[in-house]
Amino acid sequence: MKNKLMHLSNETMNLSFVKKVEALSGSSVRRCFQCGKCSAGCPMSAFMEHPPNRVVRLLQLGQGERVLAGRSIWYCASCETCTTRCPNKVDLAAIMDALRKLSWDADGPSKESYVQLANRLFIENIRTYGRQYELRLGAAFNMKSGQFLKDLMLGPKLLSKGKLKMFHSKNKNIAEIEGIFRRIEEMRKKGEAL
Amino acid sequence: MTAHKKHLNYSFYPGCSLHASGREYDISTRAAFKALNVGLKEVPEWFCCGATPAHNVDELLSLSLCAKNLSLAEKVEGDLAVACAACFSRLKTTQHHLKQDDNKRKLVEIAIDGPTPLGKPVKHILEILARDLGLPHLEESVKKPLAGLKVACYYGCLLTRPPGVPELDDCEDPRIMEDILRALGAEPVQWSHRMECCGANFTLSRPGVVLMLSGAILESAQLAGADCIMVACPLCHSNLDVRQQGIEEKSSSAYDTPIFYITQLVALAMGVPSDKLGFESVIVDPRPLLKQKTLL
Repeated sequence: MKNKLMHLSNETMNLSFVKKVEALSGSSVRRCFQCGKCSAGCPMSAFMEHPPNRVVRLLQLGQGERVLAGRSIWYCASCETCTTRCPNKVDLAAIMDALRKLSWDADGPSKESYVQLANRLFIENIRTYGRQYELRLGAAFNMKSGQFLKDLMLGPKLLSKGKLKMFHSKNKNIAEIEGIFRRIEEMRKKGEAL
Repeated sequence: MTAHKKHLNYSFYPGCSLHASGREYDISTRAAFKALNVGLKEVPEWFCCGATPAHNVDELLSLSLCAKNLSLAEKVEGDLAVACAACFSRLKTTQHHLKQDDNKRKLVEIAIDGPTPLGKPVKHILEILARDLGLPHLEESVKKPLAGLKVACYYGCLLTRPPGVPELDDCEDPRIMEDILRALGAEPVQWSHRMECCGANFTLSRPGVVLMLSGAILESAQLAGADCIMVACPLCHSNLDVRQQGIEEKSSSAYDTPIFYITQLVALAMGVPSDKLGFESVIVDPRPLLKQKTLL
């Protein structure tokens, strides 16, 4: 998809997608004039097929699907350097959040599954325990990503240093967290939530 | 030595890391505050702030988790002290957005089934030390100056960025860590990577990213002649300390650079015994360096 010639027309440009991104992020996409400062300072651009400034350009051209299909948005570290340095006040970090949310909600195709898996397990931990349970997070990630030996030597070391807890107690008010997750789901079903 | 007149009291949101992998940050924060006679009372039954994964895919969830924590914090007196840079960033971001956007605020109030109090100041412990307590008082309270210790102050991403949100210090050229260190008698070095990302939560999903980014930070600190790196974030600490051996193996370099939490150095300078600062929990043992500098 990346190297295919891009024909721009009413049929190939999805501009309503850009409006969604602007509404979710609260940031203009159109204000970008492609100075490239965001990509110059981005610590993760080396890992992305579309560096930050190109993500914005693709959005301007109505090519949101190309962005979502790649891995760029999942390789953003949310370090906020781009947002800090943009001369036109384009909040690129917020745009990345909006793009990830649109991709996440649509459960669309993306080349990056490990980062999404880690996010999912992290959020599941909050819902189940109220707080992070790091041992479970690491173990579940290895199991579900099929990397059974990843950081194998690190676990026992961290346990012996008291940095990992074997057991985890639930918050007393864990029902309140379940309530928050449930009410957000209900609002989404009714189309009322972000 | 003048006695400190005002007695400061804070509510405290430690966050998940401080109760587990960053336990020495928790231990040393409590020790430093006690030594400085500053009250610290933990918010009861707090929840995870959602950190980066929540806002990455679900802003409403992220805002709601933080708003819930802010409302729990109302039960404890005093401004809300936060040690973890990520929790600090999320709580400040939530206050910022909910103050500006009535629609988001309404949705969050439905989600948490209650009001969203936004009035309590959220403060990183750096600003409590440097501003509330004040650098002159900090300097006067030093019992053991950290003389001769060359420190690379590492800010990372979330303490100062983006503009207008954390409001801790200048986004691109902060001084607060260096100021505190000078008050403790240590010597901050000038170096290139104090604001660069460590790789953050890619440590779980894509550790190769962390090896590369944190490796550059260790390299830069070594080039600048630093004896050690000082951080104020448990994830930065873990990436630079726990992953250091992996970085050395990958890049065939030798760093052996101890990573201190700011509060470990503050407490040490305040005369807290070194066995009360969680040094046994870190991977790169800082005690040989401290002995060499006759600080132990």
